Amino acid sequence: MSPDAPLASGLLSDSPHSRPTRSRREFVRDAFCGFGGLALSALIGEQSAVAEAKSPHSVANPLAAKSPHFPAKAKSVIFLFMAGGPSHLETFDPKPLLNKLNGQTRPRGFGEAKYQFVQRDAKLLGTRRTFQKYGQSGIPVSDLFPHTAQCIDDIAVLRSCYGDMVVHSAAQYELFSGRTIPGFPSFGSWTLYGLGAETESLPAYVVLPDPKGALEAGQPMYMHGFLPAVYQPTMFRPGGRPVLNLDLPTGVGQEQRRRTLALIRRLNEAALNPADAELNARISAYDLAFKMQTEAPEVLDLSQETPETLDLYGIGDERTSDYGRRCLLARKLVEQGVRFTCVVSGGGPGNMQWDAHSDIEENHVRKAAETDKPVAGLLKDLKRRGLLESTLILWGGEFGRSPEAESGKGRDHHNLGFTMWMAGGGIRGGQVVGATDAIGLRAIESPYHFRDIHTTILHQLGLDQHRLTFPHLGRNERLTFVEGKVIREIV
Amino acid sequence: MGQIAVAKQPVPTDGERFFVEKIEPVLKKECFACHSAKAKEVKGGLRLDTKLGLRNGGDSGPVIVAGNTDKSLLVQAIRHEGDLAMPPDKPKLPTQTIADIVKWVEMGAPDPRQNAAAGIAAERDPRLHWSFQPIRETEQPAVKDKFWPHSPLDTFILSKLEARNWQPAPAASRAEWLRRVCFDLIGLPPSPEEVLQLDRDESPDALERVADRLLASPHYGERWAQHWLDVVRFAETEGYEYDRHVPDAWRFRDYVVDSLNRDKAFDRFLTEQIAGDEIEPESLECLSAAIFHRIGPVRRNAGNPDIALSRNEVLTERTDIIGTAFLGLTVGCARCHNHKLEPITQKDYYRLQAYFAATSEHNILLESAVDQKQWEAKTAAARQEIQRVQALSKQATGAERDRLIAEVEALEDKLPPPLATIPSTRNDFSQRTVIHVLRRGEWESKGEPVGPRPPSILVRDDLPEFAADVAHPRTRLAEWLTTPKHPLTARVITNRLWQAHFGAGIVKTANDFGARGDPPSHPELLDSLAASLIDSGWSLKQLQRQIVLSNTYRQSSYSPHAAQAEQADPESRLLWRVNRRRLSAEELRDAMLAVSGRLNRQAGGRSVMVPVDPQLVEQLYKPAQWQVAERAAEFDRRSVYLIAKRNLRLPFLEVFDAPTLLASCSRRQASTHAPQALELLNGRFSNDLAQSFADRLEQESGGAPEQIVERAFWLTAGRAPTPRERNLSLDFLREGSLPEFALAMFNLHEFLYVP
Repeated sequence: MSPDAPLASGLLSDSPHSRPTRSRREFVRDAFCGFGGLALSALIGEQSAVAEAKSPHSVANPLAAKSPHFPAKAKSVIFLFMAGGPSHLETFDPKPLLNKLNGQTRPRGFGEAKYQFVQRDAKLLGTRRTFQKYGQSGIPVSDLFPHTAQCIDDIAVLRSCYGDMVVHSAAQYELFSGRTIPGFPSFGSWTLYGLGAETESLPAYVVLPDPKGALEAGQPMYMHGFLPAVYQPTMFRPGGRPVLNLDLPTGVGQEQRRRTLALIRRLNEAALNPADAELNARISAYDLAFKMQTEAPEVLDLSQETPETLDLYGIGDERTSDYGRRCLLARKLVEQGVRFTCVVSGGGPGNMQWDAHSDIEENHVRKAAETDKPVAGLLKDLKRRGLLESTLILWGGEFGRSPEAESGKGRDHHNLGFTMWMAGGGIRGGQVVGATDAIGLRAIESPYHFRDIHTTILHQLGLDQHRLTFPHLGRNERLTFVEGKVIREIV
Repeated sequence: MGQIAVAKQPVPTDGERFFVEKIEPVLKKECFACHSAKAKEVKGGLRLDTKLGLRNGGDSGPVIVAGNTDKSLLVQAIRHEGDLAMPPDKPKLPTQTIADIVKWVEMGAPDPRQNAAAGIAAERDPRLHWSFQPIRETEQPAVKDKFWPHSPLDTFILSKLEARNWQPAPAASRAEWLRRVCFDLIGLPPSPEEVLQLDRDESPDALERVADRLLASPHYGERWAQHWLDVVRFAETEGYEYDRHVPDAWRFRDYVVDSLNRDKAFDRFLTEQIAGDEIEPESLECLSAAIFHRIGPVRRNAGNPDIALSRNEVLTERTDIIGTAFLGLTVGCARCHNHKLEPITQKDYYRLQAYFAATSEHNILLESAVDQKQWEAKTAAARQEIQRVQALSKQATGAERDRLIAEVEALEDKLPPPLATIPSTRNDFSQRTVIHVLRRGEWESKGEPVGPRPPSILVRDDLPEFAADVAHPRTRLAEWLTTPKHPLTARVITNRLWQAHFGAGIVKTANDFGARGDPPSHPELLDSLAASLIDSGWSLKQLQRQIVLSNTYRQSSYSPHAAQAEQADPESRLLWRVNRRRLSAEELRDAMLAVSGRLNRQAGGRSVMVPVDPQLVEQLYKPAQWQVAERAAEFDRRSVYLIAKRNLRLPFLEVFDAPTLLASCSRRQASTHAPQALELLNGRFSNDLAQSFADRLEQESGGAPEQIVERAFWLTAGRAPTPRERNLSLDFLREGSLPEFALAMFNLHEFLYVP
């Protein structure tokens, strides 16, 4: 057969998102529609002969922005990841019957559930939270989230979420990649693969981990799996210089480094065949690296923000400062065109996460106090800057918590029905979607799986779950393993 | 959409009428002789006399891409554009006929014929798929150019080029060939002295001697082990949250390095990994080989409610890797349902799993009985305390449980280093899992019980299962895999070797030889090489020797007069030139160490943890796992000796496309992006080595700038600098620092790419 035929395997569709490796021809083609990045050559005071000979846009960049499959409503995603599993019963899903049945075993009519720790004879646990209706929509929100409640008209509350796993690591993998085992790309990586980047000075998929420590599923949860390394997340470090390798090595000055870069470029161009797209791409990667190095620190600098903005995020208050700073950073990243940002709340030992096994009160009051104002601040700030329309916010954890008590006043993991919410990015807020049963055990009305959440996010980004594929071990893999549904009520 | 006709008496569309009037008669007249039920032998597995046959295509895959003539093999063949020219040995069809067929494909290839029988029965017989056929040795094709071929291998390549009137690329220079063969065989750059020596060597067997020297180098096994470790997704930790370190799992890596260095017969190598503990339970080598079953991800959750679920996951890992690594088939899909695209049924899958029903973990202590006793005595109190707290933690709940678990971990960390161990496997028939076909792959939904048996597509229909408790079950699996008649084993490993030398395999999907995999570019060549592998007693080195000494391999990666080939075959699948390749992450790191004079060539032993950003360690569930090697010289070991830890991979390796260690990696990506440049420019490793490289240059050149530049190019690019390069470098050195110059040399294209 001809090597130029479609490899006769049926693996490769015409979608630009289905190509594992690019042929030389594609490379050349992309070289002419990639985005320009001549910053370095300009700075070192010479135009690349190669670049001039071709076009001002001589860069073959695998992260170049790509067109979505259909018109998009959202351009960026911020995932406010409440790690460990926040309780739906204490936050957005009031269950008066649960309070009435406090201390009793679960009535048989509600059916069975499999938990990690609590036993079959465990007693139901009522909540001590109070709920109040907010906004024009009158959606009830608990007293844990007085600030978020003020934004409720922008929020679509999904009360009927469910997943397949009841232990952290597997549930976290499923939340991020649609699979309960590690090794598959996260939805952040898929998004980047689908749409490319709109920033040259920052990494386009950023995770802001909780400095308090690691999560059960570890780094693989955020990773690119079998997608090329270019789609990997960048893990920001706490502190003022969050991106690795942006700083010059000790003892090397700007001027010296400028000369070094010029030498690299000249030597590489001296031996270059002008039509060599791949090596030209490598030269361009140095341009981009240089641009990142010079521009990112400014973008990441929070000191230029007004006191009013800092206060909006709760920066300055010891409890909210950390999450507030990271939420503010998320806004600045979105402003710069960063495609996907994950802001993690929770890390280290279980009780430093939302993993309230022993005392739901103590844990959730503390975790809510750390995050409520920053989350609301982010929503308000994005809205007043006109960015909320194009930025989809997802809030939630890998599961919710059990209606039954664990060790008296805690709650166990619970994957059969729990709450997440979305806002912005074309999501119609001010509504509640789906419902759990009267004790919050099971999603019974319009249940939505993680894959439906993924499908909906892709949909808002203009991506079709069936066309966003990558061949791996004999399958055209996609984010939604089993076909997902778009949550029509909210788009 | 909206055109789904369900009319009882379908009215033919214009397109369908066109087919009946213009296309079908041509197919009948010109094609059916070879491509129909009437043919004596259906050629290429392609039938055009049924709708399904036309749709499914043949051995080369689909022949029609509806609406896309450029991608339709049929159109290429009748236009004589591809390497198929149809009808064979005849002039082209009349222009009008070709135009009709093109028009018909553009219309979407409508075909009103009814399928002979409904459903699967009418599908192409899956047994006809090329890779399930026996390996066939064909005669060497005739070629016009009698001088170019150096070996039978070259003849197969040349014949395809000649069929298109293409020329092979000119031979690469000896220096280029040497650089290529050094990286390919030992993963390290040649020294300047080796380049000069080969250049001066006028003996007729100069290249042969280089190849033999490299194949005999202890570095050969270090380089080739990485390829195999990629395929079997080797890691020394279990992944998931605890990412527990499997005790002394590095022994598997050493086993692979050593086996490859000794050119162990591949059938033996395979058998030892699958069944080492069965065939020679006293041999440390075979027991180390059987670590194979311990290197996949394992979930060990706190309070994981389902032990049966965990067992099912372990069995799944152990089964799937057999398919991927040895059979080149993705069997995993059949775990949940009959494979939609491959002839692997659910029952086949669980029969394969049944070979592992009794396989269980077995850690073998290597110390003497006396040492064991001493260790046990020394730690008795501590271990008792651990057991006590562990027991308490199992009963506790909530914060108390967290506290107790933390206490257990703290106590464990205080234990003296564990005794030398082989984390091997054995059969424990008392704990044998009864293997059932599981509906939807869920362990709760048990169907019929099954015993071990190879997949049906590869054996005769009436072959019975082994008894579920058959003795030495994995030996039986290995015996079946290594019968010389096995159509897959030899082809799959041959293709992996080919891929490692040419960048792409003869079958591009090295882990997938199934119906969805890529068809071979040179099927006869693949079979010829696979047969020669078996004939040689499964010697990988002999096969590689043949490859690296071929004229195909000797071609330049640049062919000056090949515009047509460049256009038609940009990836050079037909090998009209050699593909340049970027160094893999490990090669790059090792080459930087070698060039800077820092490479620590010590072989084997415990894996090394190097210092990394503390933030990365803090992201581990148990940061104490990251125990940096005590001696700094260890940091400069070859990359294959760095620990393969699933939850913490070195950023340097990660950014250059090192695999995730979670699933089999059949072929490395080579992406190009800005963080690579940042790593090479600002990373600690690069700058540290640039300093050492600078020191070396200073020393070896006596400090004269001209000598420094000369030596730097020889070390990094294997050649003298050109006048322009020399001037640019000297200009730079007049004001710039030597370490910065050394750093620039690490960033040369020529350093990063194998020519």
